[in-house]
Amino acid sequence: MTNDATAPLKAKLKSLLVQDLRITHVTPEQITDDEPIFGERLGLDSIDAVEVVYLVEKNFGVTIKDMKEARPAMQSINTLAAFIEARSAAN
Amino acid sequence: MTEIEFPHRQSSHCESGVVSNLLRYHGIDMSEAMAFGIGTGLFFAYMPFVRLNKLPLTTYRCEAGGILKRVARRLGCRIRRQKFRSPQKAMAALDAGLERGMPVACRTGAYWLPYFPPAFRFHFNAHNLVVYGKQGEDYLISDPVFPEPVRCAAKALMKARFAQGALAPKGVMFYMEHVSSEFDWGRAIRAGIKEVCRRMLKTPLPFVGTRGMHFLANRVEQWPSKLGEEGAKLHVGQLIRMQEEIGTGGAGFRFMYAAFLQEAAAILNNTDLLALSEQMTATGDRWRETAVIGARICKGRASATDTYAGIADRLRTCSREETRIYERLLECT
Repeated sequence: MTNDATAPLKAKLKSLLVQDLRITHVTPEQITDDEPIFGERLGLDSIDAVEVVYLVEKNFGVTIKDMKEARPAMQSINTLAAFIEARSAAN
Repeated sequence: MTEIEFPHRQSSHCESGVVSNLLRYHGIDMSEAMAFGIGTGLFFAYMPFVRLNKLPLTTYRCEAGGILKRVARRLGCRIRRQKFRSPQKAMAALDAGLERGMPVACRTGAYWLPYFPPAFRFHFNAHNLVVYGKQGEDYLISDPVFPEPVRCAAKALMKARFAQGALAPKGVMFYMEHVSSEFDWGRAIRAGIKEVCRRMLKTPLPFVGTRGMHFLANRVEQWPSKLGEEGAKLHVGQLIRMQEEIGTGGAGFRFMYAAFLQEAAAILNNTDLLALSEQMTATGDRWRETAVIGARICKGRASATDTYAGIADRLRTCSREETRIYERLLECT
């Protein structure tokens, strides 16, 4: 359960992942904040990363320019939320 | 135990990152984007006759080692490059370089580097990194696509340096023997730009440059009927992997080239380059849209508008936009 200030953002990210990437075997609530986004449990791989980059830009107006930014940002829901927060604050 | 003080800096793409970091070690502060631009890194070719993992090769960058070679030539650096048949000799030469206090760049097969997260492993045999030390049986590595330096066991590094398959690295390693800080930035930048434009517009082969993007567009449209649904998905998956994963990809390379043009505009005091930088960024967005459609098709998430024809349309738009950019670049440099 998340109870920090970024909880709504993290919840939205989880919903978007499940909905847009059509993850059927896991619900948004079952995704923990620090589990790897890419790996066996969620079943996502590097091809899906292209779409994660796109959905972050479309939904939050935050651009991930390349893999240098993408790798650390897309480790987990926590890191992705932190990246979006930092970029949104900078803009 | 050997450890050289090496300024690790994360980069978007391995070769331009390695070149930039090596130059920095030798006292020249050159950004990755500048190394990419001076080294004529930007390129495009769709080569169905060259196979990687049994699927056609699409490249969005120049040949492996090309950036290093051209940056060295344009800056007047002397590079020592070695290639080996024997893995043992290759590792011994690496150790000898480190003993002399020299950071050594190695070409590797990324799949065999154990510090790569499994979900991001892919058979790509032209991944560059810098070895800057050794502690026991572990090498200390500045892998430019990672935020921090990493360690790699000697056995794993040897396997990666002698990975088999297309573009096999064959133990290639190199280091800078002589670096001079007295060079003409403007001349190097202009030479890099002109060569990119010439390659993208004037290479007399239909599968290279902006013509190559049209060539690929025509092929993509035919994939479903020629290869069947599964074959077409495999091909589009390969296209996306090579575009967005290996190195930096179609969009990422365009963003990097845009950053180079922005830096070049300031150095050459040329405002036209700033406008072209913005146009290149816009083209990068178009490449990324292409990748998103491809990813959706590949993963069975395509909507009615995510089609092979849609990918082809965007590729043709990329071709038209980039043709205009290179023509303009030739005029203003």
